[in-house]
Amino acid sequence: MSKVALQFIILGLVLVLAQVLVFNHICLFNVGVPMVFIYLIVRLPVTLALNWVLTIGFFLGLIVDVFSDTYGMNAVACTVLAMIRRPVLRLYVPREEDLTRPEPSMLSLGAGVYMKYLLTLTLIYCALIFTIEAFTFFNPLQLLLRIIFSTLLSMIIMLGIDSIMTPRSEKRL
Amino acid sequence: MSELLKFLVRFSSWFLFVVYLIAGFVLLFSGNPFQHHVYLTSANRISSGLYSTANSVSSYFFLKEINEDLQRRNSDLELEIYRLNDVIRHYREQAYADTMSVDSALSRYHFVIAHVINNSINRAHNYITIDKGSLDGIMPEMGVMDQNGIVGIVNVVSDHTARLISVLNPYLRLSCKVKGHAQVGSLVWDGKDPSEAMLEELPKHSEFTPGDTIVTSGYSSVFPEGVPVGTVMSSTRDIEDNFYTLRVKLFTDFSTLSTVRVIRDNMREELSAVEKEIEIKNME
Repeated sequence: MSKVALQFIILGLVLVLAQVLVFNHICLFNVGVPMVFIYLIVRLPVTLALNWVLTIGFFLGLIVDVFSDTYGMNAVACTVLAMIRRPVLRLYVPREEDLTRPEPSMLSLGAGVYMKYLLTLTLIYCALIFTIEAFTFFNPLQLLLRIIFSTLLSMIIMLGIDSIMTPRSEKRL
Repeated sequence: MSELLKFLVRFSSWFLFVVYLIAGFVLLFSGNPFQHHVYLTSANRISSGLYSTANSVSSYFFLKEINEDLQRRNSDLELEIYRLNDVIRHYREQAYADTMSVDSALSRYHFVIAHVINNSINRAHNYITIDKGSLDGIMPEMGVMDQNGIVGIVNVVSDHTARLISVLNPYLRLSCKVKGHAQVGSLVWDGKDPSEAMLEELPKHSEFTPGDTIVTSGYSSVFPEGVPVGTVMSSTRDIEDNFYTLRVKLFTDFSTLSTVRVIRDNMREELSAVEKEIEIKNME
């Protein structure tokens, strides 16, 4: 258990660092900003109590907020994301007992279901973040473009992280 | 009692969810960025430490562009020096007898040089973190410029770092004017392009042509008069509206900010004391 917990703490640290030092400064076509740190919430084991998921989500968002001066925006969106994670997973996997491992991943869910799960969560997150941002400037077309491009960009990068994270021995299976 | 406890335990995650959501919304709608707490902004010790480490690497990336900007600015200033030397010579000849040299210590403005350690241009509200703080004499509401033009206004200050509201932030409105004319408008970012901003509320009798330079008006102690801002690109004016709105191409390249100057106005305290006195008199 403690080994898994340690792995997630390190993953969280690396993701936050990568987000604030690299991905916050990327802006594709002036609209797409990759939101990569939510990968931690995506990968938390389903067996973990919801209270823990919520707490991790809120503080993860708050830390990113502090670094990127967004003041509460990511904290709200991450809390909502942590809450809807299980319902979204149930949408695609009716019986959680069928999972081979507690963490949702390419291996335990299968590539297709995992991609759908990841896409849904990323889309919801980007929609939340940019809608909250749009309280100041309302420009529907720009909002839509921001959501779509950011979702795609985040998806691609998170799948890349997935391929790094998966050990070689497991890939062969 | 035990029923109540059971109920609380059963729905504990919903309570937690609501608590976190409320905490987040309280932060989100706390409004004015001048009231942000220093620990929750990028000016705190941990994040500014991280950013200055990262900046010590990434600051080398744009040296070429910055060097070119500096060269251009330098040549402009040299020209200015030649022109001013001519003016000085002219006056010295005119009033040779009662000329007194003015001590530079009496000048109104001072610059504090600082390095940008974190910066964003792609959000709706952009902020900048610099590596000088209250111990270097920086206080909230000081203006900041770089070698090309205006950058922003200091708003949260800790001991060794400070956070600025970037010009690319709709919370910031700056009073600016067309160079050589007196009519004043208010510069604000419209959230679209990080190289453009809008100059709003310019009276309808103002004169300008596309390509004219926009400078600060000097109507506050934040920026002295005449700090370069940008050039006019185009203008719009509603029929029933009495004001022009100009689209301004900013001189400052916010994507490659590195060294900035914080402007200290030595007359600031005097000015605010006078303004306060007048306010008190008006209230009586």
